[in-house]
Amino acid sequence: MATVAYGPNLTRTHAEITSDVVATLSPPSRGYLAALFGAVGLFLIGLITFVMLLKDGLGHAGYNPPIMWSVYITNFVFWVGIGHAGTLISAILYLFRSPWRTAVYRATEAMTVFAVMTAGLFPIIHIGRQWIFYWLLPYPNARYLWPNFKSPLIWDVFAIGTYLTVSTCFLVFGLIPDVAAVRDRATGWRRALYSQMSLGWTGSDNQWRHFSRAYLYLAALCTPLVLSVHSVVSWDFAMSLVPAWHGTIFAPYFVGGAIYSGLGMVMTLLIPLRKVLKIEHLINDYHFDNLAKLTLLTGCILFYSYSMEYFVAWYSGNTFEQTTFFRRAFGPYWWAGWTMIICNALVSQLLWFKKIRTNLTSLFVISIFINIGMWFERFVIIVSSLSNEFIPWAWDGINPTWADWGILAGSFGWFLMYFLLFARTFPIVAIQEIKEMIPMPRRKGTAGGHH
Amino acid sequence: MALKLPVPRRREVPGVLASFEHIDAACDAIRTLRKQGRRNLTVYTSHPNHEVEAAVGHTNSPVRLFTLIGGLAGCTAGFAMTIWMSRDWPLVVGGKAIGTVVPYVAIAFELTVLIGSLVTFLGMALLTFPRAVRKVAFDRRFSDDLIGVFVPASVSETDKLSDFFRRAGAVEVRNA
Amino acid sequence: MSDEGLNPTVDRRRFLTVLGVAGGGAAALSGCSTKAEKLIPYLVQSEDQVPGIPTYYASTCTECSAGCGLHVKTREGRAIKLEGNPEHPVNHGKLCARGQASLQGLYNPGRIKAPMVREGGSWKEIKWDDAIARLVAAIQKGGAPLAVLSGAPRGTFSDLLADWTATAGGSVTRWEPLDHIPMREANKLTFGRDELPAYDFASAKYILSFGADFLDTWHSPTENQLGYSRSHGFHGDAARHVHVAPRRDLTGLNADEWLAAAPGTEAAVALAMANVVAGRRSGAGAYAGMLAEWTPEAAEKASGVPAAFIRRVALEFAAQTPTLAVAGGIASQHRGAVELCQAVNVLNAVAGNIGQTVRFGADLATGDGLAGVQRLLAAMDGGQVGILLVHEANPVYALPASLKFAERLRKVAFKVSTATYMDETAAQCDLLLPSLHSLERWDDTNPRAGVFGLMQPVMEPVFPGMHTGDVLLDASRKLGGVYAKFSAPDFKTHLRTAWNARTADDAAWRAALARGGLYAEMAAAPAVTPSGSSFSAATPAFDGDGEFVFVAYPHAFLHDGRGANRPWLLENPDPVTKATWSPWIELSAATARRLDIRRGEVVRIVSPHGEITGPAFPYAGLHDGVIAAPLGSGHTEYGQFAKDRGFNPLDLLGAPDASLSFLPYASTRVRLEKTHRYQEVATTEGTPRQLGRGIAEAIPLEYARKGMTVKEALRAEGHAEHELNTEEEVTAILGWRERQVEGRKLGNYAEVHPSWGLTVDLSKCTGCSACVTACYAENNIPTVGEDQVLRGREMSWMRIERYWEGGEGDDPLEARFVPMLCQQCENAPCEPVCPVFAAYHTVDGLNGQVYNRCVGTRYCSNNCSYKVRYFNWYKYNEKAWPEPLNLQLNPDVTVRARGVMEKCTFCIQRIRTAQHNARLEDREPRDGEFTTACAQACPSEAIVFGNRRDPDSQVAQVSRDPRGYRVLEELNTRPAITYLAKVLNRVEA
Repeated sequence: MATVAYGPNLTRTHAEITSDVVATLSPPSRGYLAALFGAVGLFLIGLITFVMLLKDGLGHAGYNPPIMWSVYITNFVFWVGIGHAGTLISAILYLFRSPWRTAVYRATEAMTVFAVMTAGLFPIIHIGRQWIFYWLLPYPNARYLWPNFKSPLIWDVFAIGTYLTVSTCFLVFGLIPDVAAVRDRATGWRRALYSQMSLGWTGSDNQWRHFSRAYLYLAALCTPLVLSVHSVVSWDFAMSLVPAWHGTIFAPYFVGGAIYSGLGMVMTLLIPLRKVLKIEHLINDYHFDNLAKLTLLTGCILFYSYSMEYFVAWYSGNTFEQTTFFRRAFGPYWWAGWTMIICNALVSQLLWFKKIRTNLTSLFVISIFINIGMWFERFVIIVSSLSNEFIPWAWDGINPTWADWGILAGSFGWFLMYFLLFARTFPIVAIQEIKEMIPMPRRKGTAGGHH
Repeated sequence: MALKLPVPRRREVPGVLASFEHIDAACDAIRTLRKQGRRNLTVYTSHPNHEVEAAVGHTNSPVRLFTLIGGLAGCTAGFAMTIWMSRDWPLVVGGKAIGTVVPYVAIAFELTVLIGSLVTFLGMALLTFPRAVRKVAFDRRFSDDLIGVFVPASVSETDKLSDFFRRAGAVEVRNA
Repeated sequence: MSDEGLNPTVDRRRFLTVLGVAGGGAAALSGCSTKAEKLIPYLVQSEDQVPGIPTYYASTCTECSAGCGLHVKTREGRAIKLEGNPEHPVNHGKLCARGQASLQGLYNPGRIKAPMVREGGSWKEIKWDDAIARLVAAIQKGGAPLAVLSGAPRGTFSDLLADWTATAGGSVTRWEPLDHIPMREANKLTFGRDELPAYDFASAKYILSFGADFLDTWHSPTENQLGYSRSHGFHGDAARHVHVAPRRDLTGLNADEWLAAAPGTEAAVALAMANVVAGRRSGAGAYAGMLAEWTPEAAEKASGVPAAFIRRVALEFAAQTPTLAVAGGIASQHRGAVELCQAVNVLNAVAGNIGQTVRFGADLATGDGLAGVQRLLAAMDGGQVGILLVHEANPVYALPASLKFAERLRKVAFKVSTATYMDETAAQCDLLLPSLHSLERWDDTNPRAGVFGLMQPVMEPVFPGMHTGDVLLDASRKLGGVYAKFSAPDFKTHLRTAWNARTADDAAWRAALARGGLYAEMAAAPAVTPSGSSFSAATPAFDGDGEFVFVAYPHAFLHDGRGANRPWLLENPDPVTKATWSPWIELSAATARRLDIRRGEVVRIVSPHGEITGPAFPYAGLHDGVIAAPLGSGHTEYGQFAKDRGFNPLDLLGAPDASLSFLPYASTRVRLEKTHRYQEVATTEGTPRQLGRGIAEAIPLEYARKGMTVKEALRAEGHAEHELNTEEEVTAILGWRERQVEGRKLGNYAEVHPSWGLTVDLSKCTGCSACVTACYAENNIPTVGEDQVLRGREMSWMRIERYWEGGEGDDPLEARFVPMLCQQCENAPCEPVCPVFAAYHTVDGLNGQVYNRCVGTRYCSNNCSYKVRYFNWYKYNEKAWPEPLNLQLNPDVTVRARGVMEKCTFCIQRIRTAQHNARLEDREPRDGEFTTACAQACPSEAIVFGNRRDPDSQVAQVSRDPRGYRVLEELNTRPAITYLAKVLNRVEA
């Protein structure tokens, strides 16, 4: 039962699990180091670009009015979206007691934290006067002028801030027992670090008792949070008057898309990672099959949302909406529009086939399509909608520049840098939860499992 | 993010520490000890285990109270802050009324979750660490695959308890 | 760091030196700036200088020959804005874009900083005494006589110059590049009067223009436009306007009908119309015989204009009285230009307009025309010019290269230029005596009979120049002898003496100074009868054998090129093409289709005399046989803004035969070659079609007469009108608003305040774009340069959108101009999305924008339905005003830092000033006592500003007009701007 629930081909003892995971922390391979240096390099590119923006102004980026938001906000929504799959898997599926999450949730949760860390940079990068971004916070400034709580951007500040704090908290919290387990094997700096982070964890009955409850309530709080965060992000658009933004469908549409993109990124990260860390047996077809099913579901939600957007535009009889959606498909940004529809709505349909779901190579390729598709979805929603608003005289298009691509590259570098470091420093697979699924040996040799 | 361990002077707790390989053996031992009226046992497992929980017979953790209080505090704070601040310096935007509640729900909600989670985390810490400070004998293998049972005991009882554990199927028993 | 760059970098020393003399007050100034005076000690305050309070000086505009009156606004001793003088009979308080940009001439970085002499190949700065001594020496040396080429308008200085030159045994050639010689000659031939009449557009009931761009550059544009808006603009009725010309310029776009006559055939059309009109009216007089042969059919054969059209228009023309026909724009200045003007004279005569709408005896300023220049050229060729003094003229640039002025200039031994800017001609001279800008000197002008405009120094000269008048007087002192009669110590005294005749005593003189001059009522027009004999209206000859006729026309802002060094004019989009900064080459849409040429494709235009290369601009308002390009670009000197930008169309023109007294700008045949290169035209145009969004509404005249609204008119036209909201929705929306209004009553919002509003009458707006420059000047709007305009980053708070209607099939192309500025919505979409309250609603109904508070999320701009918010992508504030241009900045308006959003707030600084002044008198501001910069400049009175809450205010009354509508009303943004629909004067079928 337990083993079946965990996956077909796992027959490991508790001791083996510990050593498997501890093994992932052993000195890194060349491939890993290459990846890490690559990531740092990309991050530096982004850093230099940002310095240029600070020096001369946002003009370097490819903004052409009336398109006042373009690649940077696209990246922002993209990265926030990535985060969502993590919380979905770690929190929501925890509440649903979905057995397959255990193997992957630690990795996805880490991904969440780092994705949100990345996303959080973009509102700062994209504003005109980056050095006073903190004016968005309600602090008692010289004139006691408070922020405008009617502005979706302020909601954003609170949503993203909360999301980052809570998901970090959730990750660190879940790590405690595992870190303790590793601590008891580690030496040197690692031992010092783990001792600090395990908060004196011994795994006593009393600790487990509070831990399990607290973990449950955190999960319960994270569940509405993850849904709210991307709804709030979607309201950055839906609260405006812009044709194709001003829609009630946006919140669910965005949440679906966010989870979809997140799952894409999870697969992109895990498929190579399990090889590098030699934990193929811990994260296997069974998990990817389930990930893929979830991807298929969210893919279908997107399919529906896209069709619904067009339907509403047509049905509303609103000439502005109609023009925008016509131009989304046949206007100057047709290529972006179709990229998004093909990569998201259509490619995901391949996952109906079990053969594809269980073939990691094909899954990897699809996950790449998903990442591209979801980036373009945001690009289309933002740029192509802004390019043709109410006043035709003001219509224009953008041409992204080195400053846009530089920051995009930098964001990937920043994200991967943290993720790779995490994977080598902390147990990327949740030791104690896996152990929980493997029955303890019994004297009377009867397979007990838990009740 | 690493919290500092509270490190008051630790007092040594004398007693007997037994390690089990088999869950049922451990649980039987725990039950028997509790029948004998021993309360403050400490049971170490590498992961939460229902059988052990049942054997030790814990009630529900009070941590949920922290969650509730934190959440309510956050919600109240959210509405109070937004409404007060928008009336403190009244500014009209978009022809809308000045102190409107609807848009503030978003803020209040986020604060509910934020403060709720932080307080839960804090609560768990408060409930756990004071006990962790009591230096109770521990063995590294407990975080791996052994189950540990510690019974505080005076020197006089140690032999009796050791025998009991051995009979109960402990793989190792030592006095601490 | 948050206030980084909020203050422009003003070099303190320069600021103070300029501040310099203002204390003395302008009246106390001497025209000669060599003696610098002390700073104003504000401790001992001079009565006409209060820090923070502007001082206004009356002056006269010298940008074109119209001679409009100016009010110069100065603050702390620097001129910061030019406004029209309401008392002035020419412009009645209005001012065109070029007039306002005169300020950038004053502060132009391209000005010559000091007198210079050419030594070896390079320039050497010298002292004024030395400079004048060199001039004197040259004169004393004797040899070939002195010749002067002057573009100075008629006035005391010109008289002095002529007098002085005569004394020196030389002669003055007075030359204004785009002068109206053909009209002058035609008037001589037809009426025996060598002068230009004044045209009364205001009372004309039907206007026919034959290539006369009277709204762009022709004649006296500001004056014409005011008159035009009063007759053609809707006032219960509207005059009809038909434009016959190869190119549809701004005037053509405002016309109710445009007919593309082949170049050179306009005269035939005019005569044929005269023929028909004469049939209705008596008195073809001496022309009867000649008119008889010009039947509409004959004209159709010659011009390709359908006889039916000619007949119809002529009958409409004859049916009304008084009417007005005008001719003689540069675009129709071909070899037959004189005949064309004669033909139109005949048309006006037979229609009985002479003495009515065409009034002689006005006599605008003039020069000797090309004939004079030809004589001068011959003299230079023959070595009969020893010294050439060039004053306020740039022949090397403004004459076709084929006239070889430059080569001939080299033959002159000693060449002196008084140019204020280093222009092409000055660059070739030996001695530079930089004259003062008209705002720095004493001067006067006499643009027409009875109108004497005065100029006075409004500030210390920006650079130590010297008015040429003073140079002459100083030289006279040094020369002595015959020159002793020029005894005045300085030109100011000379001017004052000259004015003794007009201003009896000092009081009268000061009064004249305060009013900006003397304006006598225009004398009753003398009775004039056509006395000329018949003439040939045959199509004139063209040089070359190319496929197309090339038409060079004056740029709406750069004019003949003198505006090319002023960023305001370069960045203000051309009213027709909306192109900025660089010139373009127009070809008809059909031609473009035929040759498969798209906008921006670089084409080479080749004539027998030269070639030009530039981006193609397909334009539906062009005769298929014509290629057109604007004058004014392609400078090789003339400062950083003008230098090496675009091409000079004059390169295509041949040297006119000596018989011709004017330069035929439209007389060359050219051929077009593709280059397969591409150069984007920096237009501000997005999509030029309204897509039925009702941004620029229009209503047919017949319905407007009945006082219908646009919707009613549409219904009457049988257009099913689609209701946006149901009853319930409408009540719901209103109910929502009531609740919100209640909820807003907190703090200051609880009290009653004015509610500022604005109206724009599209039937009056001509799209001239004077308001745009006014806005740039008033609000310190940076010019961003061509590369930024190409990225759509121009900052024009006030922009003129030009939408095309029709144009498909036989449905004629119609242009609709919409001035688009912040609508100051009550339910402003921009405000609630701003996270930091940088955008908020002021108590008096404006969309305030707090630049210091803005962090630059740009959400407000995304959410602005009208796209009237502008973002500082770079440190524009540090690049837009290179020294000394920064001195033009309005101290009442923040200069925005990079990274903040900026927008129109109905010139809030003017509102607050008015309110403060009113409060001093313990009252509310009176309606019309102040207005926004755009409304103030608008030459066609299309814009009205005021307090909507006061039901009697003009703005409230106008906004109740049935033609009134709000742009994108269905969005429930509740704009504070009401547009009055354009009135379509359609052909009654």
